[in-house]
Amino acid sequence: MPDTRSEQTLAPGVTITREREVGGDILTVNFGPQHPSTHGVLRLIVDLDGEVIRRVKPVIGYLHTGIEKQMEALRWQQGVVVTDRHDYLSPPINNLAYALAVEQLMGVEAPPRAQALRVIMSELTRIASHLIWLGSSGIELGAMGIFMYCLRDREKVLDLNEEISGFRMHTSYIRPGGVTADATPRFLEMLDAFIKEMPANIQEYEDLLTHNPIWIERTQGIGYLSAEDAIRLGATGPMIRGSGVPWDLRKDRPYCSFETYDWEVAVEPAGDCYARYLVRIKEMRESTKILRQALDRLPGGPVNVDDRKVLPPPREELDTSMEALIHHFKLFTEGYSPPPGDVYVAVESGRGENGCYIVSDGTHKPRRVKFRAASFVNLQAVEHMALGHMIADMIAIIGTADTVLGDADR
Amino acid sequence: MTALKLTQGILAHGVIAGAEWVSVPRERLRETLTELKSQGYESYVFMTCVDHLATPTVEKPPERFELVYELRNMKTHRELRVRVFVPEDDPRVHSAHDIYTPANWDERETWDMFGIHFAGHPDLTRILMPDDWVGHPLRRDYPVGGEPVDFSEDHEVWQTAPPEA
Repeated sequence: MPDTRSEQTLAPGVTITREREVGGDILTVNFGPQHPSTHGVLRLIVDLDGEVIRRVKPVIGYLHTGIEKQMEALRWQQGVVVTDRHDYLSPPINNLAYALAVEQLMGVEAPPRAQALRVIMSELTRIASHLIWLGSSGIELGAMGIFMYCLRDREKVLDLNEEISGFRMHTSYIRPGGVTADATPRFLEMLDAFIKEMPANIQEYEDLLTHNPIWIERTQGIGYLSAEDAIRLGATGPMIRGSGVPWDLRKDRPYCSFETYDWEVAVEPAGDCYARYLVRIKEMRESTKILRQALDRLPGGPVNVDDRKVLPPPREELDTSMEALIHHFKLFTEGYSPPPGDVYVAVESGRGENGCYIVSDGTHKPRRVKFRAASFVNLQAVEHMALGHMIADMIAIIGTADTVLGDADR
Repeated sequence: MTALKLTQGILAHGVIAGAEWVSVPRERLRETLTELKSQGYESYVFMTCVDHLATPTVEKPPERFELVYELRNMKTHRELRVRVFVPEDDPRVHSAHDIYTPANWDERETWDMFGIHFAGHPDLTRILMPDDWVGHPLRRDYPVGGEPVDFSEDHEVWQTAPPEA
């Protein structure tokens, strides 16, 4: 098939023009579900006219694990463990959405130290999630080296996770009423070292990619999404900020005192894959800034609400206090029951708006838990971005949409 | 109050946990969403369904299924929840995919999980479950499945299907 572009600039001053006939045979190609560059198990049915994309139909559900159904069979505090597992690249942020929703329904608020630790964990997770995105997108588009640098630094975030919660991936660290454990002195030291070296590391990624001609060629002008379309298609996160809309839930609907930190929303006006890359790089810098402030002014005090109806009493009290024993027994046999009602809480994850909608019927188990998954919504915009592009650009477009299929399928 | 700006057809409205909501009859769903969109609620957050089968709450919901549309005004940062109740014996409602584009997949998911039929949807097929799946898993009378655990709480309720399901 001849080239689709009627005009092509080979070098400055050398332009070739080709005529081509539109309306040849349409070839339907099946991508996936096990293609490594689909970030999980995404299947795409693509109609091709030569190499040009004419239709994209994402087929999802291969990672459906019935998380919302499971939540209905678990008690409120047991559900935290399940929330880790839908967007498996940002477990603490998923915990946070669920914990905030349950707290809002019950009318409790976590103490300031817990809020600051939540901010620290969600920003660390954002950095780790962007690093996985950057590394894997780099490999997909032919930049092999960047993956090693990204994984090197993500490893440090996992070490931090392990130090504070005991788990490297599915931390279950943030729970209704506070966090599972206070930060250890070693965690604070490791975090301080991480924050100190992160700006130089981000500069390293930028040296590898930002002015790399191949990277620019593969991403600039590819997958354009205008600001109006981004809003119309419900895109959130770096997808909408890469189209020039400064929408960030941490600024626009603040939670965990995000409004008290000094940072900027990362926005790029261009709307293409390169703009989304720049947004994520800038977000990593801003997250480092938030981490520095959170660490410097980490307040003292407890990390859990002092409410025996929500969280169990300390172990020591069980030996001496009958009341503490009763509370302990009640919490671990029946659990707590938020008042009937529904609440929706949205938090900004690395991928966009990850929200949690919960409905209580007044019993000790949820009536309904719904996760508003950013990947699920952003994936619907892929067809709009891909139409008219070449098949090879599809990889850049899926990559910069940064969908996690566990999140989309739940 | 945003709810009062709607010209007609509101069954109820209120505020819960700091969030505004309105309830409209299902015949007026499309008009309501169109009107709200023109009033600035241009951002659609999500839509889902709640199954109120045998709910123990004191105030009984009028019907078994409740559809919830969460809308957001990106200028004022306000959110509004639109509720529509759908009866069990006729679980159908008009599709809103042409008003809010992202509703397309949410409606497919709601059809898949709850069996609510969206009239006028261009491709109302299963999205998360396999195409040949029988039943709608998020209905409350659909069993969780798995190994029965003796003496666990509620195990009769959750591990086995009721006879009529």
